Amino acid sequence: MASGKINILSRGLLKENPVFILMLGLCPTLGVTTQVINALGMGAGVIFVLVFSNIFVSLLKDIIPGSVRIPSYIVIIAAFVTIVEMMMHAFAPSIYSSLGIFLPLIVVNCIILGRAEAFANKNSIVDSFLDAIGMGVGFTLALLLIALIREVFGSGTITLFAMGSFDGVIEIPILYTYPVRVLTLAAGALLLMGYLKGFFEWYSKRKRG
Amino acid sequence: MKNFAKIGITLALIASIAAAALAFINSVTAPRIAAYDAMVVEMTLKEVAHDYAIGDKRTIDDDGTVTAVHPLTDSEGATAGYILSLTGNGYGGPFTMMASYLADGTVVDARLLTNSETPGLGKKAENPSYMEKFQGTGNDNPVPQKKDELSKEDADAVGGSTITFTGVSKTLAYGSAYVKELGGK
Repeated sequence: MASGKINILSRGLLKENPVFILMLGLCPTLGVTTQVINALGMGAGVIFVLVFSNIFVSLLKDIIPGSVRIPSYIVIIAAFVTIVEMMMHAFAPSIYSSLGIFLPLIVVNCIILGRAEAFANKNSIVDSFLDAIGMGVGFTLALLLIALIREVFGSGTITLFAMGSFDGVIEIPILYTYPVRVLTLAAGALLLMGYLKGFFEWYSKRKRG
Repeated sequence: MKNFAKIGITLALIASIAAAALAFINSVTAPRIAAYDAMVVEMTLKEVAHDYAIGDKRTIDDDGTVTAVHPLTDSEGATAGYILSLTGNGYGGPFTMMASYLADGTVVDARLLTNSETPGLGKKAENPSYMEKFQGTGNDNPVPQKKDELSKEDADAVGGSTITFTGVSKTLAYGSAYVKELGGK
């Protein structure tokens, strides 16, 4: 029983990673990963929405009539996305402005609707919560990996939170002067995504033996 | 029929609870958001005004590019120039900017505000130093509108984001002409 719970929690990290294995939510993945801070902001937003939408979908699964379940999920998800949007605008305006259109687009992020439809409406609240945490963290880690590679090689910087005298930007000596520009563009994101997908494919095949 | 009503009521109930929750969150965050937006405008005004005093805002409704005018006065109280709130089109869509001009149309300073330019390329126009190449132009010296009108270093700085550059310079040139027409009023 305990191992089942751990499995629900951990499979989103690698075995069923939403980005690299399930290939869900690729549009925001490619769109926001130009800076590490954007990946963190987007990841936090998705975890928040995923956790609450999974909990509420699981809670209401016996009340929501089957024929209108998708509209109901969308209303629930849209409500939480709007909450995240308003909170970020008020308390983290710089992340809000750099995430731009991708923040409201979490509503139609297929990871969230996918987990509501494929998992939360059939399972208990605790399992749905664990699933949301696992998938959300898996998504965030994937974003972080892509953003780190794209920002370090594409711009020669690592952008984090500004604290006190530290302005939040770490500059990497040689790469800052001679960055590989293509990585900051959409084409570079697709190229990198292809290589990473290839790597994870090779990795999971090798593991299965 | 009964089933139909049940489905409708359930959906309406979910939607109204969601709406109520959002209304509550909005009442908490709206004042903070408004205060932040006002602060950004205030800070930008101060930055582009340099040493001039900022007068009362006039909203412009009948111009596609200029949305507001703030007169600038020098230490003796005479009108020295204007700060214009401008909208233009960049690579990623519309942007807003704020630019200060002397009464003869010379660009004093400018800042790019909301925009959807490409990070690492067009987004560089957000840096105050990006606008240095426009300073002092607009009167005898026209606002540079093409890359070959720039010095080599400046042309390199806008390389890879030509559309952003033309968008910004066109908007600035339009503002300069607009200020000339105001004629110190």
